[in-house]
Amino acid sequence: MRIAVTRTGGFAGITRRAELDTTGRHDEARLRSLAVAALSDGRPDRPAGVPDGFDYELEVDGIKAYCADPHLSAPQRELISRVLGERA
Amino acid sequence: MTNVPAHRPVFCPIVPPHLLESLARHEDPEVHVPARYTLELDAVHRTRRRIGAPVAVESAVAEAVADRPNRTIYDAGHEQTLPGAEVRAEGAGPVKDQPVNHAYDGLGATFEFYLKAYRRHSVDGRGLPLNASVHYGQGYNNAFWDGRQMVFGDGDGRIFQDFTGSVDVIGHELTHGVTQYSANLQYFGQSGALNESVSDVFGSIIKQYALGQTADQADWLIGADVLAPGIHGVALRSMKAPGTAYDDPALGKDPQPATMDGYVSTSQDNGGVHINSGIPNHAFYLVAATLGGHSWERAGQIWYDTLTGGRLASDADFADFARATAAAAHARYGDGEEHQAVLKAWSQVGVAASAALPRQAAPEGAPSSSQG
Repeated sequence: MRIAVTRTGGFAGITRRAELDTTGRHDEARLRSLAVAALSDGRPDRPAGVPDGFDYELEVDGIKAYCADPHLSAPQRELISRVLGERA
Repeated sequence: MTNVPAHRPVFCPIVPPHLLESLARHEDPEVHVPARYTLELDAVHRTRRRIGAPVAVESAVAEAVADRPNRTIYDAGHEQTLPGAEVRAEGAGPVKDQPVNHAYDGLGATFEFYLKAYRRHSVDGRGLPLNASVHYGQGYNNAFWDGRQMVFGDGDGRIFQDFTGSVDVIGHELTHGVTQYSANLQYFGQSGALNESVSDVFGSIIKQYALGQTADQADWLIGADVLAPGIHGVALRSMKAPGTAYDDPALGKDPQPATMDGYVSTSQDNGGVHINSGIPNHAFYLVAATLGGHSWERAGQIWYDTLTGGRLASDADFADFARATAAAAHARYGDGEEHQAVLKAWSQVGVAASAALPRQAAPEGAPSSSQG
């Protein structure tokens, strides 16, 4: 499963994007379940965010969903942290 | 996946009406109930504005509101649940945790600025309590206004450090509140870039006011103190020279244009609100630099009149805003150097402001200039 997270907005307005392939990873099962939950908690279009809040685009095997701070579900928050954390 | 359930709709007063309207038609009550409620509130608000009540009410209420802030600082404890535990209330002394004190002092400096410079009591003009949460999330690289309060992350220490450390950042965030309670510029596209720009303008002015600087002494930088050591850059944005604030392997290069030639069309960042804000930011800088002296006195007053005068549409684009600033300058100062500086500044950034001067009613507190 390929998971990509793109974060835009924020006070700095700087875009960050990270992508990973779950295949063969030690946390593959966790990532797959987070990805499914995060997508189903997401919205089909970009939600209107709060001023300076981060906006997120989640893409899982080509399926996209959107969410924005500070209204993330727990799976969205963990997935975003794990995927963007890959580059932190 | 076409029928993704929307469990967590975002509802705040700044949602663009067209989105609210489509949400209001959504089949899921969890989505449409709050959207319909917000639309009704908006309608009530618009009606009140049309009948002209708020200005009179606002000034009457302002007389009764104390000239002191009412601040409460919360500690989110590195979680992302707001507001967190109360750690410092109004009037309480400093605590050991410095971000708490920085937030408390920054809210105080912003309150004092709006009161002294424009006789505005807090962000809503009616003494709204000012709340802020610090230590939001783990190494969280951001600060934002959630429609009700300020939220500060600690930064990851690698790219950003503590967001409470910059008074212009605090002024920027609270000005989102001022905008929400006045022109309510929609946070998308050009009106969103104007919303961002107004926050940068007053964020910078609040720093200048705190330091007692004139326009030529000011650095015109936003977020200079939140960049971590080692990052190649001076700040996150420069109003004097948009596009030059940073150029760093981890951050990329400052993408801000200074003029309409560099206008960026994008669906990210709510339509590039933090990118294209460079254009109105630079226009303001040019007005302030031309007029000289303290930027909150004439340049800032013109922008403040524009924001709070009740004539600016919430979906205003750059040209609407430019014309409104020219009209505000004319209404307050007549056809003098202020009006000319505004027209010239917008022309320099490529925005037309010089359409036939609208016959505009004088803003709150201004001498009547046309229909004496």
